Amino acid sequence: MSDSIRLLLVDDETDFTATLGRRLVRRGLTVETADCGEAGLSKLETFPADVVLLDVRMPGMDGLSVLHRIKELYPLTEVVMLTGHASMEVAIRGMELGAFDYLMKPVAFEELFYKVEDAAARKRLQEGRIEGRRRG
Amino acid sequence: MWKNVLGALRRPFKGMFGRQELTREERAEIRKAFSARYNHFRLLIQANTRAHDAMGELEEALRGYQPYSMQYVRALCTRISTLIFQMIRHLDSLHPEAYTRLFEVFQDIQERIHPHIEPAPPADTGQPSVLDLREVGREDVDACGPKVAMLGEAGNRLGLRIPEGFVVTTAAYGRVMRAGDLGDEINRLVQMTDPEDREAVYQLSSRIMQLIMSTPLPDELVRDILAAYDALAARLGREPKLAVRSSALGEDVEGATFAGQYRSVLNVGRTGLIDAYREVLASKYSVQAMAYRMNRGLRDEDVAMSVGCMAMVPALSGGVAYSRSPVNIRDDRVSIHSVWGLPRAVVDGTAATDIFVVDRHEPMHMSERVVAEKNEKYVCHALEGVCRGDMLDEERTAPSLTDEQAVKVARRTVSIEEYFGAPQDIEWAVTPDGRFHLLQCRPLMLVKNAAGPVHRPAGLPEPLLAMGRTASPGVGVGPVHVVLKSADALTFPDGGVLVLRQARPSRAALLDRCSAVVSEQGGIAGHLANVAREFGVPALFGVEGAVKAVQNGRIVTVDADGRAVYAGAVEPLLSEKPRERIMRGSPVQGALRKAARHIVRLNLTDPDSPKFRPSQCRTLHDIMRFCHEMAVREMFEYGTHDDVVQAASRQLICDVPKQFWVLNLDDGFTDEGAARTDRCIRLEEIDSFPLQMLWKGMHAVTWQGPPPVHTGGLMSVMFEATMNPNLTVGGGTKYTQKNYFMVSRNYCSLQSRFGFHFCGVESLVGDRISENYCSFQFKGGAANLERRIRRARFVGEFLEGFDFRARVREDNLFARVEGLDRKTMGHRLKVVGYLITHTRQLDMIMTSSAEVEKQRQQFLEDIAKFDDPA
Repeated sequence: MSDSIRLLLVDDETDFTATLGRRLVRRGLTVETADCGEAGLSKLETFPADVVLLDVRMPGMDGLSVLHRIKELYPLTEVVMLTGHASMEVAIRGMELGAFDYLMKPVAFEELFYKVEDAAARKRLQEGRIEGRRRG
Repeated sequence: MWKNVLGALRRPFKGMFGRQELTREERAEIRKAFSARYNHFRLLIQANTRAHDAMGELEEALRGYQPYSMQYVRALCTRISTLIFQMIRHLDSLHPEAYTRLFEVFQDIQERIHPHIEPAPPADTGQPSVLDLREVGREDVDACGPKVAMLGEAGNRLGLRIPEGFVVTTAAYGRVMRAGDLGDEINRLVQMTDPEDREAVYQLSSRIMQLIMSTPLPDELVRDILAAYDALAARLGREPKLAVRSSALGEDVEGATFAGQYRSVLNVGRTGLIDAYREVLASKYSVQAMAYRMNRGLRDEDVAMSVGCMAMVPALSGGVAYSRSPVNIRDDRVSIHSVWGLPRAVVDGTAATDIFVVDRHEPMHMSERVVAEKNEKYVCHALEGVCRGDMLDEERTAPSLTDEQAVKVARRTVSIEEYFGAPQDIEWAVTPDGRFHLLQCRPLMLVKNAAGPVHRPAGLPEPLLAMGRTASPGVGVGPVHVVLKSADALTFPDGGVLVLRQARPSRAALLDRCSAVVSEQGGIAGHLANVAREFGVPALFGVEGAVKAVQNGRIVTVDADGRAVYAGAVEPLLSEKPRERIMRGSPVQGALRKAARHIVRLNLTDPDSPKFRPSQCRTLHDIMRFCHEMAVREMFEYGTHDDVVQAASRQLICDVPKQFWVLNLDDGFTDEGAARTDRCIRLEEIDSFPLQMLWKGMHAVTWQGPPPVHTGGLMSVMFEATMNPNLTVGGGTKYTQKNYFMVSRNYCSLQSRFGFHFCGVESLVGDRISENYCSFQFKGGAANLERRIRRARFVGEFLEGFDFRARVREDNLFARVEGLDRKTMGHRLKVVGYLITHTRQLDMIMTSSAEVEKQRQQFLEDIAKFDDPA
């Protein structure tokens, strides 16, 4: 993976996204942020993210709907859910909708970073396979 | 569908020979496909490792030694569920359509776990928000909480004088929490905070309390409360000042007193009433209240706050009375702790108090009287709130109750005990007209294993301090930490001795991690003393000059029974205290236990059994085990498939008299190795750290042959097992019949028969330490079952010496180690490799313990030659 991972952070806690974003940039990621689902979706129109880190509960459009929409529009983009509201139901529902994983705050930075790396690797593998099929 | 998979696995293995060369493009495609599959596999075993971790954490939590909250239970169960779901999904990707049944089984289990961990939001049953205290009795405990319900009962049925007032019910509390999703938001804040991080916990508490204080109450509730106030004012013919007190539901768990953890706001008028109500609600989330619930295993959602609003009683004197001694079970005398003015100073533990001990037997009489020098008192402020009032000189040293009054207080206390049928802890006031008022009553917490007479061994050193009152019995030792202000609490060391000037209730937040408490002021009737007794923390109060006499960081021994503090650890006083399972029987642990029934137990232990299939999965652990096993098989099946075998599956060229095959899952061969066309691979062409380490261990020390009891030679044993499948347990797939390494750069698994036993090793070692692991499975043998069991135990115990967790079931050993860095992992893999080679037929000697010990020493000696990084 030579290109930098493109990550979109969607969370209404802007302090959190700002701090996390800075740390991830230091680790070589390209990071954009959005403070609600709607803003996240419009950001994706211009920013082809490999991975979206998505808060489940935000004002406005809720996380699951945003997830659904992202997977509809950009099926290869991996979405990692991140939430302060641990809910088994939401977790499984999200996974069924195609989320890569469901993390609960507080999450250790390393764990989150690995998760983003794994999600990006997954996405690029999928792209490679589709590319391969097209050629073949 | 599952049968097809096995069927496919059983197909004759013909891939090794006769197949023409693939083109370069084909090879590249195959590599890509391998990478994608290996990625699924890697994520599956990563989830497997995390699930192992999380289940270990769950089992530890079930043991109940460490406190945890309901939010923790919820997060942990959700984490495990998410991981298992991922495993199913990755397995599904490895063989689409083959495992769809697993999703259904998962769903079923999920539905059984769910009710135990998700908070059922209390529905609004339309109960009134406010009740008149004159209508309240013990049957209203759900609406009013036990304190107010018992007070109403004592006033309305027993006929004692209680304050006029009303109560804002738990139904109102539910309405407040539902308004604006306040309860949800609080749950979120709690979950996001690490309970070990003290500063974060303090911030959490203040954030939640601010949130509650700033969230507007529902309009209707405000109207109801103010209407109740106005009705009370009309009845009294004046605008009364109120005492606004908590009466929480859900704190009345057996043995839990929750003494004084919540706020009371005194002398509140109409304008301050709504804020005072919110302040009491907010105190549910004070640091000490949260710590208390955590340590008691109480669920936040079970603690509903009802709030009593009662007219202030203009107390001449007041205090607390115990209907019998809380620390000595044989002492049934009534003890009265009394001050001038409002009783608050007694409860707060901030002032010196008079103590009157009354013999309950008729005729009741004063048995003991200690009159303290009282320097201040609390009185109602003219406008609102309470303040320290001036004390008349003659009051300072005068008893705050006459003997006659004290006997009266005692008589009332005993009548309440008789009425409720349990020892009581009451708060009372006497007004200038000499009348007794009951302000609060609740069951008295008695110390378990109350101390008998104190015998102290001879030859103890001279104590630093020798005085005070036993607020909670026992002996504790630890480093001194003086806490005079809240900031001092942040640096409090685990196991420290808490030294205070005043025994403030808020210091209870530290009780779960201190080994003893010493306070200059405060009596045994205060809240802090109450909670110390409940937590079994030795506490000695009334130790004058304590703060000056000790030094932060110095070790002291506090003998609360012997009323002395010694420098250093005084061994003769210290007896081993068994670790207490603090969570045992608590609601939070109960919820976890019920959920765990569908999570931890492993029923699918034998992969060769016909019962090893999705429909037999009863727990998440079963699914986890099944997914892992099947994923390994799927990887194997794919890798040995005709089309790809040339690229992936090779015979190992080595100089041991045993055949090994190596299956490359992704990036496990060097370029030269991958380019070979002879379907073989040399050891140095395998680019797999775990395989290299394991192999080194297997061949580092030449095996001396079977132990002496055996007559046959090495060769016979080496081949016997593969020649004669009947000697071995289970078996059936070619996967388990051959010696296969599956490798990638960071991964290796080996399934093999050595001698008469089967062993499996699986390991991932990469840069992410948290994902590293090595597991080792071992079963079978040629000796009888008993000896095989002994060997399994021997190997298990041996591995435990190298950080493994080992579990032995009959002659099956499962050992696993996780989270070690690359170098240490390499060492552990060598140890495992060594054991694979050297435990062959060790079962033969397992009856002679001298022989076994000799072997163990030999093993350790050999292993010491490996470069141990630790």
